[in-house]
Amino acid sequence: MTAVRISGNLPPNIDCTKAPIAFGRRAVPKLNEELQNPELITRQRALMSLCDLVHDPEIALEAMRLGCLESLKRLLRDVDSTVRMKTTEVFYRLATHNVGRVAFLKSDVILPLSQLFDEPVDVCRKNMHMAIEMMSEFPGGAVGLVEAGLIPRLVFKLTSELEEIQELILDTLHFCLCVDASEALASEAVSVLKEKLSHRSARIRNKAARALMDLSLGVQVCNLKHTLPSVPLEGKNKLCEEEVIPILVTLLGDPSPEVAASAAGALMSATVTTPGKYAALNADALLPLLGLVRSPQTNVCLNAVKAITVLAEAPEGRKELLKHLDLLEDLRGHDSEVTRRAAETAMRVITWKP
Amino acid sequence: MTSILQPQKEATGTYTFSSRPRALQNRNKYRDPVAEQNEEQAQYGNIMYDRRVVRGNTYAQNILPISAQTDPIEIQRMQEARRRAVARKRAKEQLRPRTPEPVEGRKHIDVQTELYLEELSDRIEESDVQCQTDAFLDRPATPLFIPAKTGKDVATQILEGELFDFDIEVNPILEVLTGKTIEQALLEVMEEEELASLRAQQRAFEELRNAELVEVQRLEEQERRHREEKEHRMKQQREVLRLEKESAKKIAARAFAQHYLADLLPSVYSSLQDNGYFYDSVERDVETEFMPWLMTEVEKTLDKRVFGRTMLDMLIREVVKQRLDIFEKMEQTKHASK
Repeated sequence: MTAVRISGNLPPNIDCTKAPIAFGRRAVPKLNEELQNPELITRQRALMSLCDLVHDPEIALEAMRLGCLESLKRLLRDVDSTVRMKTTEVFYRLATHNVGRVAFLKSDVILPLSQLFDEPVDVCRKNMHMAIEMMSEFPGGAVGLVEAGLIPRLVFKLTSELEEIQELILDTLHFCLCVDASEALASEAVSVLKEKLSHRSARIRNKAARALMDLSLGVQVCNLKHTLPSVPLEGKNKLCEEEVIPILVTLLGDPSPEVAASAAGALMSATVTTPGKYAALNADALLPLLGLVRSPQTNVCLNAVKAITVLAEAPEGRKELLKHLDLLEDLRGHDSEVTRRAAETAMRVITWKP
Repeated sequence: MTSILQPQKEATGTYTFSSRPRALQNRNKYRDPVAEQNEEQAQYGNIMYDRRVVRGNTYAQNILPISAQTDPIEIQRMQEARRRAVARKRAKEQLRPRTPEPVEGRKHIDVQTELYLEELSDRIEESDVQCQTDAFLDRPATPLFIPAKTGKDVATQILEGELFDFDIEVNPILEVLTGKTIEQALLEVMEEEELASLRAQQRAFEELRNAELVEVQRLEEQERRHREEKEHRMKQQREVLRLEKESAKKIAARAFAQHYLADLLPSVYSSLQDNGYFYDSVERDVETEFMPWLMTEVEKTLDKRVFGRTMLDMLIREVVKQRLDIFEKMEQTKHASK
């Protein structure tokens, strides 16, 4: 058997693209020091190792406690594109952990990240958008993004970006719009989203329709303004003005069910106002909606029923829908409680007489 | 030199001392025997500088005789040896070759025999000589030295499976490798799964929320519309009531007015008649046309008469004035001629 003898040489560096990771407690502090090294190759290798380590939430926590965020923020402005790419990737991985997101808010990472909007290298931008999208998924992060004034810039970027990044931006916008819709309305988001509704990718159509639904629902969570009735109406009126409703009606017949669900959702919120109702009725929204009611997926069915309920407020709609009451009767026995309730409400509204 | 023995347990010791080893103390050269015995062992001397300690190797030593004092014979012998040494030395001195003494009447003098003075020095004449070996020839290889075979031939062979069993040994290494890889992979997959489940939860919540929100807004809208409709209707109703009231008032007023004005008509007629609003047309015609014309004619005539009278007046005045002038002139001439 071989003798147990500790070799005097360092262990062989198997992967020379990564910095060797020190043992135990020294791993992260050593990498942190290497990140601030003026030599380029050291920084790159340290970043690669850090990227791999950060999957583990404990190491992520330690990294943030030791102030890696400051060095990473500085590296965002580095001249070398590999460094920037890896830094944004590290930020993305940190954002997947909750502690990471909270630390981002505390150390104000959003603004430096957002300076990379005009970054020439695609991968960096993609990673940065992924990080921002992760941030927006929890309410504190969405509020932070809104306060940093990122919504108008995101809307603007929507027109000119690659497809994958557009998807990420649409996701981010969806969460931000749940927080505050007024800024987006001010920056002409409706017209941009209208274009995206006719995109060839189903996912983008789906997300655009979802964003439109959020716009017209217009919930305001942040405490900046307390004008509750004005924003929802603004969104819906904007949708009617820009004649988005006919496009939404065509999307109801889209082969992908997700898109149909989102379109039904957008319709249901936009038709709450009277001009919206008549616009939808003129665009013959009832037949496709009735078709969607039979769909097996819960959210499609639910949104369709809700849209029908809203449209039944108008007398013409009621007349038309009285003929299709039996469909809704079937829904009464649906599994999900919400759908059942919605079906009952719909029936009640349809059979209401003034 | 025994000293006060330390009371020791001699039972456990391996041996006992008749005289325990102790460090020796410094002694004055001329010691006071009385004072010394009462002295405590205060100072210890350095053993290295103690003249009593034997130094050097011990296998060729002068062992001191048992009696410390030297025999008188020995002393004598030593003195004789000393004397002999001195004498030997002196003799050696004398035997050294010297220049013989000068003969009688002569004297040794240093004389220079050469022409030139030569400095005698230790410098040795030297000359350089070189020598070079021939170019190196390759040393032929030493022939292989194969010593004569001695001893017994013994062979050994490690058969497979004797040192170690590869499969068993490699197991832990493989376990660690695969374990670590799978652990890392699981971690990443779990991350994604966690994210996916969070998102799914969020989506379900969002659906509910959206549905409820739309419901709320729809109800709000409905409420608003109903309210507006109600107000509108109420306003209309109020309008209608007002109009009714107004028309009722109008009717009442009309009735009253009619009644009031019922006997107004005859009195109106009578007062109109009194005021001459009903007239005979011929009479009126005559009055309105004929009379003015008549009057204007009368005026004209009167004017003519007045004009004529005025003319006459003027004539008369003229005449009278002329006559007055003449009479005045006559008066003047009369006065003048007087």
